[in-house]
Amino acid sequence: MASGGGGSCDPLAPAGVPCAFSPDRQAYFALASTDGHLRVWETANNRLHQEYVPSAHLSGTCTCLAWAPPRLQAKESHQRKKRKSEAIGMSDQIDLLALGTAVGSILLYSTVKGELHSKLTSGGHDNRVNCIQWHQDSGCLYSCSDDKHIVEWNTQTCKVKCKWKGDNSSVTSLCISPDGKMLLSAGRTIKLWVLETKEVYRHFTGHATPVSSLMFTTIRPPNESQPFDGVTGLYFLSGAVHDRLLNVWQVRSENKEKNAVMSFTVTDEPVYIDLTLSENKEEPVKLAVVCRDGQVHLFEHVLNGHCKKPLTSNCTIQIATPGKGKKSTPKPIPILAAGFCSDKMSLLLVYGNWFQPTIERVALNSKEPHMCLVRDTSNCWAPKVETAITKVRTPVINAEAKVLVPGIPGHHAAIKPPLPHTEEVESKRKLGGNEVSIEERLGAMDIDTKEGKDDLLQTNSFPVLLTQGLESNDFEMLNKVLQTRNLNLIKKTVLRIPLHAVIPLLQELTKRLQGHPNSAVLMVQWLKCVLTVHASYLSTLPDLVHQLGTLYQLMESRVRTFQKLSHLHGKLILLITQVTASEKAKGMTSPGQKAKLVYEEESSEEESDDEIADKDSDDNWDEDEEEKESTKDEDVDEENEDDEAEAKEENGGDGAGAIEKELNGDSDLDPDNESEEE
Amino acid sequence: MEVEVEEEQERVRVVHCGGSELNFRRAVFSTDSKYIFCVSGDFVKVYSTTTEECVHILQGHTDLVTGVQLNPSNHLQLYSCSFDGTIKLWDYLDGILIKTFLVGPKLYALFTVTHAEDSVFVITDKQPDAFQLVSVKLPKSPSQEVEAKELSFVLDYINQSPKCLAFGREGEYVAAVRDFYLTVYFFKKKTTSRYTLSSSRNKKHARNSFTCVACHPKEDCIASGHMDGKIRLWRNFDDDKKYTYTCLHWHHDMVMDLAFSVTGTSLLSGGRECVLVEWREVAEKNKEFLPRLGATIEYISVSPAGDLFCTSHSDNKIMVIHRNLDTLAVIQGLVKDRSILTGLMIDPRTKALVLNGKPGHLQFYSLQSDKQLYNLDIVQQEYINDSGLFQIELTKAAFGCFGNWLATVEQRQEKESELELQMKLWKYNKKTQGFVLNTKISMPHDDQITALCFCNAERCETLTLVTASKDGHFKVWILTDDSDIYKKAVGWTCDFVGSYHKYQATDCCFSEDGSLLVVSFEEIITIWDSETWELKCTFCHRAGKIRHLCFGRLACSRYLLSATEKGIVCCWNLLTCVLEWSAKLSVRVMEPDPLSEYIAAVSQSSEGSDLFVFKPSEPRPLYIQKNISREEVQWGVFVPRDVPESFTSEAYQWLNRSQFYFLTKSQSLLTFSTKSPEEKLTPTSRQLLAEESLPTTPFYFILGKHRQQQDKKLSETLENELVHLPLTENIPAINELLHTPAHVLPSTSFLCSMFVNSLLLSQDTKSAVEIPDDVDIEEEKESDESDEESNPTEHVQGTNNTDLGEDTLYQLAKSEERELRKFRKVDYSWFTAP
Repeated sequence: MASGGGGSCDPLAPAGVPCAFSPDRQAYFALASTDGHLRVWETANNRLHQEYVPSAHLSGTCTCLAWAPPRLQAKESHQRKKRKSEAIGMSDQIDLLALGTAVGSILLYSTVKGELHSKLTSGGHDNRVNCIQWHQDSGCLYSCSDDKHIVEWNTQTCKVKCKWKGDNSSVTSLCISPDGKMLLSAGRTIKLWVLETKEVYRHFTGHATPVSSLMFTTIRPPNESQPFDGVTGLYFLSGAVHDRLLNVWQVRSENKEKNAVMSFTVTDEPVYIDLTLSENKEEPVKLAVVCRDGQVHLFEHVLNGHCKKPLTSNCTIQIATPGKGKKSTPKPIPILAAGFCSDKMSLLLVYGNWFQPTIERVALNSKEPHMCLVRDTSNCWAPKVETAITKVRTPVINAEAKVLVPGIPGHHAAIKPPLPHTEEVESKRKLGGNEVSIEERLGAMDIDTKEGKDDLLQTNSFPVLLTQGLESNDFEMLNKVLQTRNLNLIKKTVLRIPLHAVIPLLQELTKRLQGHPNSAVLMVQWLKCVLTVHASYLSTLPDLVHQLGTLYQLMESRVRTFQKLSHLHGKLILLITQVTASEKAKGMTSPGQKAKLVYEEESSEEESDDEIADKDSDDNWDEDEEEKESTKDEDVDEENEDDEAEAKEENGGDGAGAIEKELNGDSDLDPDNESEEE
Repeated sequence: MEVEVEEEQERVRVVHCGGSELNFRRAVFSTDSKYIFCVSGDFVKVYSTTTEECVHILQGHTDLVTGVQLNPSNHLQLYSCSFDGTIKLWDYLDGILIKTFLVGPKLYALFTVTHAEDSVFVITDKQPDAFQLVSVKLPKSPSQEVEAKELSFVLDYINQSPKCLAFGREGEYVAAVRDFYLTVYFFKKKTTSRYTLSSSRNKKHARNSFTCVACHPKEDCIASGHMDGKIRLWRNFDDDKKYTYTCLHWHHDMVMDLAFSVTGTSLLSGGRECVLVEWREVAEKNKEFLPRLGATIEYISVSPAGDLFCTSHSDNKIMVIHRNLDTLAVIQGLVKDRSILTGLMIDPRTKALVLNGKPGHLQFYSLQSDKQLYNLDIVQQEYINDSGLFQIELTKAAFGCFGNWLATVEQRQEKESELELQMKLWKYNKKTQGFVLNTKISMPHDDQITALCFCNAERCETLTLVTASKDGHFKVWILTDDSDIYKKAVGWTCDFVGSYHKYQATDCCFSEDGSLLVVSFEEIITIWDSETWELKCTFCHRAGKIRHLCFGRLACSRYLLSATEKGIVCCWNLLTCVLEWSAKLSVRVMEPDPLSEYIAAVSQSSEGSDLFVFKPSEPRPLYIQKNISREEVQWGVFVPRDVPESFTSEAYQWLNRSQFYFLTKSQSLLTFSTKSPEEKLTPTSRQLLAEESLPTTPFYFILGKHRQQQDKKLSETLENELVHLPLTENIPAINELLHTPAHVLPSTSFLCSMFVNSLLLSQDTKSAVEIPDDVDIEEEKESDESDEESNPTEHVQGTNNTDLGEDTLYQLAKSEERELRKFRKVDYSWFTAP
């Protein structure tokens, strides 16, 4: 795994804090911060897994760290018996973490037990430990230090196995070859050691400053025809302090070439490097370099011999805050570390401050040369403390969320004219509507003239105010009119509004009905009035379904809960009105209102309305029941009209034929609509 | 449970990969409170109390493990008993099986008592439903498998649960409860007393049967929990006439478990209220509460050191709680409190398994580490844990658009006609890295929603979600632009409502490219164009209600598969609109692999569940594995592998790209693996066994040495019946410092260095430093080995060294004393001068 550099005031010390992803699946991210605390984070849920403070954390701060190769979790017991038991599918467990300190000691910390496992001191380093590497197979540990030595530790016994002088100056970095037989060390020069004999095999020179990272990039030689001795032909990578170039070297069979074969250029000193090993000749090496300036540079390159020019990155990733308000500029968030996921297609990014870093998995898109991620890390501190124990995350529910309840547009598919079913219905309706339109127009004229006449009686109706309000969409004005509780007033206003204002009024009412239930109670009165008074007008409109579809859905959904009750109610009303209508027909000779042209039907209808309304107000129904009732009422009323008309006809209505037609057309509307919905 | 299919060299095995029960029995603490042991299926798991990590899995039992107890004679060892009739002794630090005692009958619970070192107590069944407590003598024998057939009967007619039995002070008596009886057996007198709750005959108190029992560790006092929520404290029960009991009442529902603290000063109780109650001084008035623990408390245990408690909960978690009622750690397995309604899903973002979690939550579970990542609180309502309450349940969930959208459906139905439905659509906010509610739809349908699916095809420009419901409709929801002058926003609206002859919609599914939507209406499959929502055609086979629908992938994307309730699988070719093939198979789970053409189907038969893997283009299955589980398989899912495997054999190619996980009715999560257990145990990287070696700290020299000497002295004094003062008080320097009056002492800063110096070892005693080092290591070794074989030579060495250390310390102290005297004189002169 990749390793970061140490942190101290030494100008030639590498930048950044020591940190590393756990091997294998990168389930954990360990970070030794400058305050001496070791924190281990779970990468999958960005949760602080544990925190450890070494006893000597102030004097001997952690300078480097390395995860041990995973140990096997499920162990077999003593008895070598073949039991037919279900094996646990548990894989290797990540456990030990080696920490090198500024005073030369090495601590082995067990992340499973959450305690210090061992301390490697005797016979080891007496100065700052610069780099630690675990051997992948043998369980050995290699460390190098400012005291110019490299030490091989036996972790089973926690004793020094071998200690040798690695360089004339401090040894800053180590790397073990893929086959585990060679060791690279970097001091003044980069040396390749044969681990068995501890002899220098090759020298490489080229960096002016201390090498902060060393890494093998290939595990197979580029030329497969030659016999492979485990190291010849392999490439490795090195980065140095204050150096914006990463060099790639090749181990050659002849000891001539000592210079780098190629180099990568980045914007600042590399802090953390991770790469995917290329397993064959064709597969490119993917390299992620985190720089001191907080950017990540991604390289993708097929290593193949010399390259004079330094390569620039294929992709750069930056992270910034969104920037609050309009004026403030986004601030960059530094990236602390980046590691390739095992699928090689996504990258784990660690960003923010080392005290509370955020770990995120980012899918790589090689096409974009620059990725800027906008992340808001300002409020990430508070919730995480709580979730550390309960592990409950609460997704945000804010007021901006859209709420859809039955009846609100969007809850149900909008009724569109192009739909084949509705088209049929509509064409039918059009037919019915057209036939009576002339009469209707007459009636409309009537009301208009009436309105003009009744200007004196303005105190008990607001048709003008309402019309103006609807036209100007003046909220205040509309409130004033619509929030009245006076039934008479409502009725009179509705009677007198101009016809062109009916649809806007209905739409306004629909909007208000969708709102608070308290206001909906008032609106229902209005709605009922409008529908009873202007049903005939509405039925003439060709695009009625389209315009009032929402209202219909709203009514439908509100009525649904008490469907049977409202059916009964409707039937009863029907009976009552029939009875009253017949009585009235007997008793009444002239309509109560002055009018130019008198239509018996209309006036009687009004009166019967009065009755219904009165009856309604007598009974104290619940809010929604009332709604239902009233919405149903209008259905029923329409039917009533129908029945009344029939009654009139029987009574000997002349010219009632046309009206009857109209009303029939009207009553057609509802069953059709219903059937379509169901 | 394991089934092996041997073919060539590789073989596919069913392996358990998580979700096992942690709350089956009381968890047990190690003496140093560092570890916690809990039974989990056929295994015993050792968890660290600080890191919540599983340190070891002790495997060896062949049936359900029913109890664990520390070995009272060696606190580094652990006994476990199981339904397989054996008691096993483990070294839990290294995870090694030490011994197996073959007892014979099924063992239901295990108890150990300090004074009886060579025997343990177990609960066995005499007849079905009649359980007895017997004592098993564990013979001493060097062999690893020992027959332990020497059973002696103790108590009869007891409850099988270990909660209903408790051993009293120093194992002098045992108390057992069952129904309305409390039975106390005194080992010394060999008498049994039985107490009946007077009210058992009384109708009014019919609910006060016993549920659990605990014994005071220091006094003769028994606490019993009852169905009605009362706790009774019994005293003077050695006399049948004079016995008394007092009541503690806080719980309103049954008391699930009781535990006394180590010193007996407080009593802990818990129940369905999810509140841990601590009765301080075991009195009614001094109560402390730890509320909102999330789920019913099943068991309570107390660490032997007395610093920690732990509670096992019904949602498969163990909470480690500090003495002062602070939660320290939560060991959470796969939550399995209730039925899984959402099925198994994979979060495309975190690759975690997603399913129902806590009530109203979605849990995200890491398959790799067998750990819960987090719970996502969808319903966001305080959960009231009470019997008979109808809760809001999360019934459906789906991820869309690479994990950027999450749709959830919650439902509450108290009566047939009173359905409450709510659908929420959550958007993943990249800035804050969390889900944000985008649209909330109440009553999206008039009846239960049966299926929910996103159109995940890449070519779709508008995001589409389809819900199918029992009300006979399916609704298509699309993401639309809701921006107005105030804000930019997107929201979901209904785009289309479809139905087919008032049949109930049972399932829905998009084709791989998103061009077709298939909705099944009972027996009929309807195919809709996703552009215009026109009904393209219908298929019908008259083979029963369709339960599952899925499209083939990649090369087989023209095939549509349907599985019916009557046990017929049909494959339709969408290009020719003909039935390609059909087979008789009662399918429970049918899952397509998103990365290959393969489809896995799990069928249910009387013997167990069988797995069939096939390609839709071929009517012959490619791979069959019979009897993958004894129980019914409820859900399954293909999890894409990060790194593809490369099996060449045709029968295993289906495992190359993805891995198949399935969940059984008892909610254990299983998968298929081709690796043999041996292979898994000998990996390329050799196991890292690092020895624990910590250098001794200066404190150890001061305190550790003293303590050892003290211990030695104490043991000596115990033998000689003589009382010596502890050594620290014999150091003159300290004596002087402590006994000189404060007003005549020189300033503290002056004394401090001297005092500390007196505690340190001087340079000239280097040899003393090195020798204790050896002692330390040797003693560690000693404790690592079993206590039975102690090495006498080491002991001699140890005492020699400690003597030496004592001498040097003593000398040092004398010289310091002299110096201190000098200063005292100076002080006196200063005191007398004025």
